[in-house]
Amino acid sequence: MFIESRRNFLKGTAATIAGAAVAKGVFSTIVEVPAMADETTFTNTPKTLQFYPPLEEWDDFKELDGDDWKRGGINRKGVQSADNPDGIKVNDYIIVPTVCSNCEAGCGLTAWVDKKSLVVKKYMGNPLHSASRGRNCAKGYGTWSQMYDPDRVPFPLKRAPGSKRGEGKWVRVTWDDAMKDIGKKLADMLRRGDEISKKMFIYHVGRPNENGFGNRIPHTLGVDGYDSHTNICSAGARQGSIQWANDDRNSPDWANAKLIFLQSSHAADAGHYFQQSAGLIADARKRGAKMVVIDPRLSNSAGMADLWIPAWPGTEAALYLYLANRILNEKGKNGEDLVDHEFVKNWINWKKLMKDKEYLKLMVNRGYISKMPEDDSYESFISMLRELYSPYTLEFVVKECRLEGQEYKLEQLFDMVIDAEDKIATYLWRAGTIGHRGGWMNTRSGFLVLALRGALRGDVGGTSWHHWHKASVNGKWFDATVSNGKKPEKVDVWNEYPWPPEYPLATYELSYILPHLLMDEEWKRKWKAKGFKIPDRLAVWVPRMYNPVWINPDGFRWIECLKREDLMELTFNLSPTWSETNWYCDYVLPTGLAGERHDQQSEPSKPEKWVAFRQPALRVALEKMGWKPKDPTKATLEAHMKAGLGEVWEEIEFWANLIVRYVDPDGSLGIKKYWASKEDPSRPITIPEFYQAAFSLLPNLKKAAEAAYPNSKYPCYEFMRDRGAFTEETNIYKPQEEEVKFDGEYYYSHGHKYHKSEVTKDDEGVLWIDSHGHKKSIGVEIDGKIYQGFHTPDKRLDFFVDWMKEYQWAEYAIPIYPRNKREREEMIHLVTHVHHDYMKGENEFALNTIYRLPYMIHTRSVNSKHLMEISVNHNPVWIHTSDAKRLGIKRGDKIRVRIVDTVSGLESGYFVGMAVPTEATRPGVLACSHHAGRWKLKNAVEIPGFEHKLGVMGVGAPLYEMSMDGKIGKMRAKEGIDKGVKKRKDSWQFKEINKDLDNIWWDGLTGAWQNAVAPVHPDPIAGNHAWHQKVIIEKAKPGDKFGDVYVNYENNFKTYKAWRDKLTRPLNENIKYRRPMHMPRPAVPLSEKAYLNPMYKGNKEV
Amino acid sequence: MSITEQRSSLYSLVSRIFIQEMDEHTLSKIEKIDNFKELFPNYFEWDKRQTLSRYKLINEILNVDFTDIAIMHLIPYETFYTREDAMIETGGANPVVQIYNDYGYRVDLDRARVVSPDHIGVELEFMKILIDAQKKAEEDNDIEAVKQLKEEQKRFLEDHLLAFAPLYFINVAEQARTPFYKDAAKLALEFLLEDYEYLNK
Repeated sequence: MFIESRRNFLKGTAATIAGAAVAKGVFSTIVEVPAMADETTFTNTPKTLQFYPPLEEWDDFKELDGDDWKRGGINRKGVQSADNPDGIKVNDYIIVPTVCSNCEAGCGLTAWVDKKSLVVKKYMGNPLHSASRGRNCAKGYGTWSQMYDPDRVPFPLKRAPGSKRGEGKWVRVTWDDAMKDIGKKLADMLRRGDEISKKMFIYHVGRPNENGFGNRIPHTLGVDGYDSHTNICSAGARQGSIQWANDDRNSPDWANAKLIFLQSSHAADAGHYFQQSAGLIADARKRGAKMVVIDPRLSNSAGMADLWIPAWPGTEAALYLYLANRILNEKGKNGEDLVDHEFVKNWINWKKLMKDKEYLKLMVNRGYISKMPEDDSYESFISMLRELYSPYTLEFVVKECRLEGQEYKLEQLFDMVIDAEDKIATYLWRAGTIGHRGGWMNTRSGFLVLALRGALRGDVGGTSWHHWHKASVNGKWFDATVSNGKKPEKVDVWNEYPWPPEYPLATYELSYILPHLLMDEEWKRKWKAKGFKIPDRLAVWVPRMYNPVWINPDGFRWIECLKREDLMELTFNLSPTWSETNWYCDYVLPTGLAGERHDQQSEPSKPEKWVAFRQPALRVALEKMGWKPKDPTKATLEAHMKAGLGEVWEEIEFWANLIVRYVDPDGSLGIKKYWASKEDPSRPITIPEFYQAAFSLLPNLKKAAEAAYPNSKYPCYEFMRDRGAFTEETNIYKPQEEEVKFDGEYYYSHGHKYHKSEVTKDDEGVLWIDSHGHKKSIGVEIDGKIYQGFHTPDKRLDFFVDWMKEYQWAEYAIPIYPRNKREREEMIHLVTHVHHDYMKGENEFALNTIYRLPYMIHTRSVNSKHLMEISVNHNPVWIHTSDAKRLGIKRGDKIRVRIVDTVSGLESGYFVGMAVPTEATRPGVLACSHHAGRWKLKNAVEIPGFEHKLGVMGVGAPLYEMSMDGKIGKMRAKEGIDKGVKKRKDSWQFKEINKDLDNIWWDGLTGAWQNAVAPVHPDPIAGNHAWHQKVIIEKAKPGDKFGDVYVNYENNFKTYKAWRDKLTRPLNENIKYRRPMHMPRPAVPLSEKAYLNPMYKGNKEV
Repeated sequence: MSITEQRSSLYSLVSRIFIQEMDEHTLSKIEKIDNFKELFPNYFEWDKRQTLSRYKLINEILNVDFTDIAIMHLIPYETFYTREDAMIETGGANPVVQIYNDYGYRVDLDRARVVSPDHIGVELEFMKILIDAQKKAEEDNDIEAVKQLKEEQKRFLEDHLLAFAPLYFINVAEQARTPFYKDAAKLALEFLLEDYEYLNK
């Protein structure tokens, strides 16, 4: 209609429209606004969308204030300046790179330090970090609210003289006071110098997030005193990796894989290298990769996977051996074998097995195979495997994994495995492997599938091993000390507390049974009688950012032990936050979070070697602005005090000061030289000295640093200080195929050269040399070429682990899994303690406890209001809808979850949780993460002489009341987080940042402290705690409250003994070493003398 | 009056009508245009224009209608029409901000009382600014600048106004309850199309 009736305005009305010049006039000319004239860099229409300014601008970067922008933006207000005070505020930043510390991934961060206020205004990612690629998960950004937690520990605290541990009475001390006291205690212990005294110190490390520093504290002290947290974390998985490759863990190339093979939700959903892996997995899936998730729980990853297989927890090994069976016994579409013979023949240690007739006989005797192989050939080996794994049929696996009705999924899984060829990336970790007795066999059998398909070759898209994809440099710091690069001698004692004689093959320290061992006089007597020298107590126990009371099983046992000053004489926690454990320590020494400390971190999150540098952002910013510390060896502490963060320190400076100034000031103990500066031997080493030495270990980094800072005294330090991350090497594929150079006279391997006369070759092609009386392999010859090979002594991947025989576990030296009920009873060590065999009654379940809540992984993040708001400490008990219906349980019902042990038959007690019926867990299996249930016994503590009360975990832990009598422990919630915070919402610390505390709405009352109820379950071989539980559920009794905990920890002590005494095969007089010599203890290097088993008959001659 | 001046006046007129509510002063100016009857034939004939007080006409009738067709029910923003999710882009990614900036102008959003610079009234006024610049160039005999400015006008029409204004004006013509806005919408649409033809010559 418009077109038809068009008028001609420009001609017909031309003479008459002049009067209509009525425009509103809404445009103004930019150049006429004086306030904008010198601020033309600011625009609301950037040419590109970049989160990060270029590196050259990091020391001086101005950015409009996001909050202030809300007043109207620069279009309306212009930019703030002297001429335009009403303009939008501009922040004047120094951007300091650092590294996240809220999980193990080590993603890059940048701290945006406001030069005027010396406050970190925000944490962002670091675009120079090649694995995290400028991205972070919520935990990275949460660093900011952790830093300015209203309840930060503002200065060192000491248990009030005259009070008992756990009474909650504290006094303020200086760092020097604390170091004086601790230094004297340590010095007294070390001065004794006998074997016993070298076992009386334990440094107990939570998530370390550094490479090679912490273990060197006991090492330089000359003691065997390191406890990692690994045996409650991932040691089951590592056992399988160590058996296959003598490597701590595998390392997948997610980004280039065709199949993302996940057991549990790890990698894509919550943990081990979560954020980095998730991004790489997303990249792969975008290119068409498939993803399978094997997990009883429909995790976020499983929900978006191509295939979810909810196998009964702990039976995954059966599933993998089913796949192995089909790979071995079926043919491809064109009739070809599905086994990658080229890889298996060259790189699997089959020859060793085929030569070991005694072992083959054992296999026949146990019914693994029906007869001896015809000969030693590869073909006979493959024939034997075909028979060995033929019982793992579809029918078997469906029954064992309880996958009735889901047979079609197993077909799909097999097709996916075959279609992916050798591009299968996996990270067999945590849930299946640490949840169960025998969980390590998951890794053994899972990697068999990958090995048969050639995916363990470590080529593009496949799976390799971690040490090739990681760069650890801290050990190099001795170059900058008086020791002039000389490392401490190996320690010549073996501490039975981390490594009891029952667990010679344990992957890591038995740290979680430390209180049990310390309180087990019978155990001490037994081994002392056999010649072991076991101290009755510890002189010093030092948890480092660790909270075993809360996160370890059997928490009441920990409290009981910590209270005993006769068992732990001095305890101090180097901790950035209050914690349940701190409550029972003698000292709480506040150390830094992600942006408040120095650490070097590198992780195998992709096939390259990247290193990242965690730094105290305020210190770096202050130093760049010209500030100088009074004492350069305490610069981090002084900087934090100067910037108003509190007396927050860091470990490197702490330990260096403690040892040089208080433990060994005159050097007579021989320790000072490892911590005193080469530049000035009278003082401890400084951070620039330390990291100049450490980072110079990496040749590419050194070259780049020297080019970028040609006139610097500490170019490597400054290079990393300014960038925060560097990638030393990329595209590291098939590293085992790197050749060993031979020039006709010498072999060159790993930086050493060996004359041909020193080198012998065995009939498996392995090249050996003599190293201090021991044979050491340096390479392997395959088809005429000499390769570096894998990390095992035979340089191949070990299908057959011969040393298992010596340590009395011969029947498990190959990937195997019981095939029927009788075998499950005989081979109990491989059978999960929550196997469906053990579930008899209709209200008996397996409880899946170990899935991470991606916002609340470690104890240190309890103080982030932002992370707590996401998690709210709410942690219901998932129950399948069919089970809930059968038991008459509805959503929100209170239920008692009673934990029952299937070895001792004893009941541990119960916790009261909230039931949530869902189809996101499989029938028969409950789910309730153990990463929740924080508590405190006081909302705040008074410090004599200090004007403010110190709040305790105000944003993340409800107030509980507790009772314990040595046998029974009880907990009941008294007050939720919201109510506790409201009482003191006008927090004195970091007021401006915490003015929103009255917005806290979560009470945190539905996440029970289930770890307290859980008894310890030490795996008899891997030594890890097997986390899952058999539980009996029932509706709550009248008067029960959410969060109630009732524990019979006397029963739990009996359960610890039952697992130890019924299941292990301890050292005996026929075993020479306490552990295979080629499997070094992971933290402190020990001498051969330390390795010797005092019971061994022949040891007197050594 | 030159065609350039004429165009400027017309953009000025339609911009003003659609950018804000009517006021007595502006309405009186409009009604004093010589060919007012030709431009607003239905409004001219409308009895309420004659019978109601000016105050009532503007505040109870015209401005209520304006609220309907420019604030409440119809959305006079380019990005509302051009984005797939039909959201107004109020941030830096708004497609016209860069063009305004390139010419050294910013929109005083407070004065305009609009939420983003791609409001139809603002874009129409921007055309007036370009045309006024052209007029200055003509006065300076800068033929090259005249050519460039006309090209920019054409491009701005193609890329922005014509991408959504016809749809919007058709909607107004159909939904407006007063002859004033119905007439104004038809006038604006026809003028835009004619101006585009003119620039294509």
